[in-house]
Amino acid sequence: MTPAIRVHELVKKDVLIIGAGGAGLRTAVQILSRRPETSIAAVTKVSSPQKSHTTTAQGGVAAVDPKDRIDRPEYHMFDTWKGSDCSADQNVIKTIVDSAWEQILWLDAHGLHFTRNEEGRFSKRTFGGHTLHFGGPSAFRALFEADRTGKGIMDTVWAESLKNKVRFFNQSLATELLFKDERCIGAVIFEARTGTFTMVLAKATLISTGGLGQVFKITTNCRQNTGDGLALALRQGLPVMDLEAVQFHPTGIVGPGILASEALRGEGGILLNKDQEPFMERYAPKMKDLAPRDLVSRSIENEIREGRGAVHPEHNLPHVWLDIRHLSEYVHKVKLPEITGFFSKFIGIDPKVDLCPVRPTVHYQMGGVPVNAVGEVQQDAQRIVPGLFAVGESACASFHGFNRLATNSLLELFTMGKCVGDRIADFLQEAPDPGDTARQAPEQTAAQFSGYLQAKGSENLWTIREAMRSVMTEKCGVFRKESTILEAIEDLKELRERAAHVRLKSSSLLMNQELVDRFELDNLLDVALTLAEGALARKESRGAHSREDYPERSDAFQYHTLAFLQDNGAVRLGKRPIDMSLFREGGEHAGHFDLLERKY
Amino acid sequence: MNTPYAITLNIHRYDPEAKRNWIQAYRLEAGGMLRFTDVLRKINQEQDPGLAWTSSCEHAQCGSCSAVVNGKPLLLCELLVQDAVDFFETTSFVLKPLSIAPVLRDLIVDLAQAYERVHQARPYLIDPAGPPAEGDELRIPPKVMDHYVEATRCINCFCCAQACISSHRNFLGPNAMLANIVRLFDPKEQAQTERLDILSASSGLARCHTARACSFVCPKEIDVAHFMARGKEGRFS
Ligand SMILES: Cc1cc2nc3c(=O)[nH]c(=O)nc-3n(C[C@H](O)[C@H](O)[C@H](O)COP(=O)(O)OP(=O)(O)OC[C@H]3O[C@@H](n4cnc5c(N)ncnc54)[C@H](O)[C@@H]3O)c2cc1C
Ligand code: SF4
Repeated sequence: MTPAIRVHELVKKDVLIIGAGGAGLRTAVQILSRRPETSIAAVTKVSSPQKSHTTTAQGGVAAVDPKDRIDRPEYHMFDTWKGSDCSADQNVIKTIVDSAWEQILWLDAHGLHFTRNEEGRFSKRTFGGHTLHFGGPSAFRALFEADRTGKGIMDTVWAESLKNKVRFFNQSLATELLFKDERCIGAVIFEARTGTFTMVLAKATLISTGGLGQVFKITTNCRQNTGDGLALALRQGLPVMDLEAVQFHPTGIVGPGILASEALRGEGGILLNKDQEPFMERYAPKMKDLAPRDLVSRSIENEIREGRGAVHPEHNLPHVWLDIRHLSEYVHKVKLPEITGFFSKFIGIDPKVDLCPVRPTVHYQMGGVPVNAVGEVQQDAQRIVPGLFAVGESACASFHGFNRLATNSLLELFTMGKCVGDRIADFLQEAPDPGDTARQAPEQTAAQFSGYLQAKGSENLWTIREAMRSVMTEKCGVFRKESTILEAIEDLKELRERAAHVRLKSSSLLMNQELVDRFELDNLLDVALTLAEGALARKESRGAHSREDYPERSDAFQYHTLAFLQDNGAVRLGKRPIDMSLFREGGEHAGHFDLLERKY
Repeated sequence: MNTPYAITLNIHRYDPEAKRNWIQAYRLEAGGMLRFTDVLRKINQEQDPGLAWTSSCEHAQCGSCSAVVNGKPLLLCELLVQDAVDFFETTSFVLKPLSIAPVLRDLIVDLAQAYERVHQARPYLIDPAGPPAEGDELRIPPKVMDHYVEATRCINCFCCAQACISSHRNFLGPNAMLANIVRLFDPKEQAQTERLDILSASSGLARCHTARACSFVCPKEIDVAHFMARGKEGRFS
């Protein structure tokens, strides 16, 4: 007997936050600081918001210290613009970079344990793509809490949310956005823990579900990063933006793909090929190992393709080496203990003595749900969706364009979190009440979940998930071309068919992990297909999107991709212009914000 | 590729619909470098998609996949097959869910109450000291931070609470105490009295028997017992 899918409870809140990670909770805390009486519900798939993926971020967060005599916000803006391959929105860059320091101080004052130097002030380290004087020497711009900066941020905003009495739905997932007269009025939440569906009606709903890394085979992303927020939006006919811009981090630990942060190279680590040649000198003579991620990833893949990679005996995967043997005992044991520990824990080597095997791993989505500079979700380049907001990795404002600089994502979480929180606080003053019932019953959720529980067939959902991940990695990965992307699209369509024939072992709703995995599989497949169609249409190479058949950036594609997924699986594409206000407004530095050639 | 191990996982299972407990043995071949989370995924794919377990980051940074293997509380993602065979000197393993929280299904527990104990230790700044001047950071000498930053690495995996010989019914637990003790050291916290109250409450440190099991099992290798001892001494600088 399959249980009927029905709504067990109706809950009314001022604000619903779908995704209680770093970005979602920074927003929550900001709303509460402005309007303490606001009622907020925040949902997370993990057992506590503290376990959200933000907690794994290692290296640091960029912010120009106004007391710094040589670094300046304009340099940071330039690095972000150049790093984005001239595809980020300059109004967003300005907002974020200008508010960075104030927000760092906010975090410090609310309890984050930033690492201090001998004077007791914040320590700083350098990261790929961050320079002084518009492309000059490396800038020491990243603040950090040892090698657990993300944990510091997550712990701070989680604890502040506890202090301010946010209501949490843990081990729960949003399954459907609700609308009334074109306005978003909340979402359906499946509490996997209790096997019940709750309809949360809210004046403002925020999507902050994080990344989509699980679309690919080797990734630094957690198991829950299945692009849910994107899939929820797509299913309502809303667009996603620039999904083809997926960041491969150059140094994933061979095998599981666990991240070995840039901080290792920031501290002096060097990449070597199998002949022990420091090959980055050939690809980026100036910035070498600290060139931006897309460039280093492509260089590594190229070394491997040309036969200069080593092969890992246990995992049977080609790779290059990261040499950190020469770094001091202090760096190994005190500054970067978690990261150096990964090598011994997960592949059994001692990085003080051995070379570390690394290769590119999927790390970050630059694209996401399109939003304007205050986090309002857009239904096309002109119109917003009233009541719906997005922030964090699942949103695209776009601060990163087609390639994100190291340490710029954490920065985006809390600067935009603050900014979107302010916007929602204003919005609440005039927002209409969502009413007592959603005009539209959660038909979509009911149909979807009954379908999962009733499906017959012999397919295994993990086999399909793994097949999708291989397809995307091999055919739509670091390098892609028309023929392979077309193959990927065909394969994905077939996998979508096969997914309909997954028969679940148990038809119970109570903490049925297989049911959760099944829902995520649909999200993954929808997102993968939309991503591949975007990659197919963009006949150029830009940032992390690297087409072998179109190796150059083309001005004909100087726009953001908007992609809509139709019911029949077809993808409709649109455009959003890229903001170049820093360039247009003129002034002393305007020339640095023109369309630039990208050399390091 | 090195030869895989033939291993047996005897998993304690629970079906909440039928309210039934049983132990199920899964036999499979697994490479030495596979994490136990990889092994469970392999079981889901090849033998039993219905076996329920959970994880998130799978590199020992979030504390979602805690379980008890051959009597030891640990993170399943951190346990490589090869290391498990070496450490336990067997290829047969018994996997149980944590017992400090109610089981929802198979290896998945409901951490709500356990986390509530951490919340009671108030993991935020109760009364923040605030920055010295506009645009400036509070100066904290690294020597001061050295006393407590190690304890901020705690990920609330509850392995120490599982190993603790004091009952979680009376004691908030080693990790909750740690969250409180961090703020007693932290120069940014001004609410010393409230903090000391949490420490000396009947659910506080008096329940600690100094068995040091916490330090022994902590996957982050935090010397939890050291911080408990500092708490008992009342020495926070
Ligand atoms: C290993 C690693 C290291 C990194 N290091 C750095 C760094 O040093 N510097 C830097 O700037 N950036 C770094 N990043 C990137 C950065 O950490 C992430 O981009 C950022 O943390 C994302 O935060 P978020 O709040 O958007 O999402 P997350 O923290 O992923 O939170 C998403 C939340 O949404 C929930 N959720 C998902 N789907 C649903 C659903 N359907 N219903 C309800 N809830 C849902 C999740 O459970 C989670 O609570 C790193 C990333 C990784 C993976
Ligand atoms: S102290 Fe260690 S064992 Fe205890 S919860 Fe924290 S990380 Fe886990």
